[in-house]
Amino acid sequence: MALNLKVNGRSEWVEMDPSRPLLEVLREGLGLLGARRGCETSYCGACSVLLDGQVVHACTVLAGMADGREVTTIEGISSGEALHPVQSAFIQAGAIQCGYCTPGMVLAAISLLQHEPNPTEEQIRQWIRGNLCRCTGYQKVVAAIAEAAAALGRGGGNHA
Amino acid sequence: MPELTVVGRPVVRKDLFRKATGSGQYTVDLELPRQLHGKVLRSPFAHARILHLDPGPALKLPGVLAVVTGIDFPVGYWGSHIKDQPPMARGVARYIGEPVAAVAAVDEEVAEEACQRIQVEYEPLPAVYTIEEALAAEAPLLHPDLLRYERNPQVCRPQANSNVLNHTRIRRGEVEAALRRAVLVEEGEYRTQAQEHVSLEPSACLARWERDGHLTVWSSTQCPFIVREDVARSLGVLTHRVRVIVPDVGGGFGGKVHVRLEPIAALLSQRAGRPVKMVHTRYEEFIASTVRHPSWIRLRAGLDAEGRLSGWQAEIYFDTGAYSDSGEMVSWQTALGGAGPYRVGDVAIDTYAVYTNKVPAGAFRGMGWPQVMWAVESHLDRLARRAGIDPVELRLKNALRDGDETVTGERLEGVGLVECLQTAAEAIGWGKPRPAGHGRAVVSVMKSSAPNSTASAVVKVNEDGAVQVVTGAAEIGTGSHSALAQICAEALGVSYEAVEVTAPDTAYAPFDRGAVSDRTTFHLGDAVYQAALMARRQLLEVAAARLEAAVEDLELEDGILSVRGVPERRLSFREAARLSYVRHGGPILGQGRHLEEEIVPLHPETGQSPRACSHYKFGAQAVEVAVDPETGMVQVEQVVSGHDCGQAVNPLQVEGQIQGAVAQGLGYALMEEMRFEAGQVTNPTLMDYPVPTAPDVPPIRAIAVEVPHPHSPFGVKGVGEPGIIGVAPAIGNAVHDALGICLSELPLTPERILRALEQAGDSRPGSRTEIPAPWDPE
Repeated sequence: MALNLKVNGRSEWVEMDPSRPLLEVLREGLGLLGARRGCETSYCGACSVLLDGQVVHACTVLAGMADGREVTTIEGISSGEALHPVQSAFIQAGAIQCGYCTPGMVLAAISLLQHEPNPTEEQIRQWIRGNLCRCTGYQKVVAAIAEAAAALGRGGGNHA
Repeated sequence: MPELTVVGRPVVRKDLFRKATGSGQYTVDLELPRQLHGKVLRSPFAHARILHLDPGPALKLPGVLAVVTGIDFPVGYWGSHIKDQPPMARGVARYIGEPVAAVAAVDEEVAEEACQRIQVEYEPLPAVYTIEEALAAEAPLLHPDLLRYERNPQVCRPQANSNVLNHTRIRRGEVEAALRRAVLVEEGEYRTQAQEHVSLEPSACLARWERDGHLTVWSSTQCPFIVREDVARSLGVLTHRVRVIVPDVGGGFGGKVHVRLEPIAALLSQRAGRPVKMVHTRYEEFIASTVRHPSWIRLRAGLDAEGRLSGWQAEIYFDTGAYSDSGEMVSWQTALGGAGPYRVGDVAIDTYAVYTNKVPAGAFRGMGWPQVMWAVESHLDRLARRAGIDPVELRLKNALRDGDETVTGERLEGVGLVECLQTAAEAIGWGKPRPAGHGRAVVSVMKSSAPNSTASAVVKVNEDGAVQVVTGAAEIGTGSHSALAQICAEALGVSYEAVEVTAPDTAYAPFDRGAVSDRTTFHLGDAVYQAALMARRQLLEVAAARLEAAVEDLELEDGILSVRGVPERRLSFREAARLSYVRHGGPILGQGRHLEEEIVPLHPETGQSPRACSHYKFGAQAVEVAVDPETGMVQVEQVVSGHDCGQAVNPLQVEGQIQGAVAQGLGYALMEEMRFEAGQVTNPTLMDYPVPTAPDVPPIRAIAVEVPHPHSPFGVKGVGEPGIIGVAPAIGNAVHDALGICLSELPLTPERILRALEQAGDSRPGSRTEIPAPWDPE
């Protein structure tokens, strides 16, 4: 069956069983590899993407549920050398080690800043609790998100 | 030493742009034309003879291209210092989850279904699941051929007719007499649990067997050359026929040192005539990758009248599961740490690695030191309490300092322990009043490096002046590639931006032991440094010829070669590089090597050696906790982790390594525990095996105490491991400080804390007697 997804602002037709996970559609159907498979059971968050602006774990969202809705992946938030302020903040703060959780973490952070442009440290930690990181101990991730919030507040980006 | 311009700066890592944009490429992302997917059928028995195995029904399933079983492999075994593990069970399965057959098919689901159709007939055998069972006189032997396995006798000494695959002894003086003379002797017994690495990228590989007999393996590994050797041994092919390429690696922590799926994917690829990709599920990561060794540790320690440690005895047992993987090295390394970082007088230490019918335990950040330091540092606090000495004072009084000897008789230099302890104590507010229900603790940290660790590197300067460092170092997330670029840039006299580090490919890279034991910065860093110096000399020779000056009169700084004192006689780095290609000398190619020739194997009876390993790392861990006596919940309020990292190469990365290690240590201390029932992992999911999430981890204050190493380039040391080592004992001791209860078993779950409170008795204020006894798995 053909599914019509709006992915990163583009309309995509994918020939796929609607009962397959959205993650498989993105990775295998569309070649978007930024969303990563970490546990297949929605615990690690490495596959986080935005579905109509909300963070979802693409491994446990059925492709059919995304039909006709707007999907944003890490590939859709910046292009070329220009980065989203959240990405820049992650790089500058050293909030990335192995990088496997990073796309999901960045998307979770973007969705947080859309809901709450000036989050407290506690709000940041609570918001990203669905995104496991085994490398950083979260501290630089939290600092990067706070820094991105500040940069966006200063008008340091037009993405949010 | 001239002022450093690149080393020591918080440069932005070169791999972060691609990782931030989702364009990092991991093994799981790779795809080749006509690629198949492989799946493994695993043993449902902890110990069983395989009587009969029929792959016929699997082969009949459409879409199945190949099936392999244990007997399809030549008789080849792999391992670190003892080669005891076949790539697939052959005749006998020794743990639940051990591969017994595998299928290559057009997709994962067909491969999975085909696996279920393979008919296997087993004869269950008696099994052992704990250290005590494995050591019992009548225990069934997992490896009756133990003494016939190939091994390195300097590190691995198995005991005949037993499940003990390694026993390491250290003896100095007369420990019994010393303990008799002591004014106070404290005995204790400690236990630790199995911990899973939980790298977010599971183990993965892609193998392509060429028809001419060459094999290419893309692997998510920390150690490409170890994987190459393991694959070659497993398949009975020549090492150079195997090429291992490592893309970005999504975390390692010791879990990706040896092969998991690589030999299986390779044989499937040979049989099917197509590339085969294999990726562990998270469930397979739990039941069939390696884990941190569970341990059982018994200590006896004596104090003299002045509060000095005068005698120390340690018996340390590691449960290494069905195969050694790196178990012999874990037990060997921790013999060096059986008395912690202290001057202990007379000493006897015995460490044992013991086989059981469980998933193999292997390398894991800290290599056994987190287990041993849990015991040693808990014990130090018990001693301090009994003697009425302040725990920090007791540590400072007995801490190893420059010029002291270790338990193996090695004289130390560059020991930063006292500085670390003082810094951490000060930062946590040691000795200051604390709120009710809060407790604090400061503990020491020590870690040995691996013995006899070889590294080599090549630095080449391209025609356009760009510098390339070619090594076997996998970038597993630690920032090692950027650290090596910084070391190269500093030695060569060019900018950080001018240097690139290539991803490892065993076809081109010179040998390196791998990204383990904090050795990339130290060992490989030295090789890169030597290679950069050689390249620098070659460039100076080119410039000398061109500028008609003597090499000694030239200098190379900021990418400019000039005659000292005559700055107008100059040549840019780029011009010199180009000239070397067209006129002078030939292409610039530096090589560097690191070998530790001074290392002496431990004496087999006494464990004495003037130099047991390349160096030791020291640090201190301090925490403040709040404990709720009603629920047993421990809230970690403050963490200070001070580590001697030598000259920090990149302060931002040093902090990141310490913070990440501490967070993993918090998981180990408080929540992570693989549970087993008759050899079966009963919590093999991230739901049942929680790891710390962002709200679980408090802010971590990482302090780099920079005591330069006397023999490394710029004084650098590695700092990936130490951060995890002191977390559990610091929390345990802080819980005692808060509630007055003694804990000896990890993790410090609410159940264990409530049980300890109950045992502490009704006399304690606030304790309740009506708490139901927690379920006891024993």
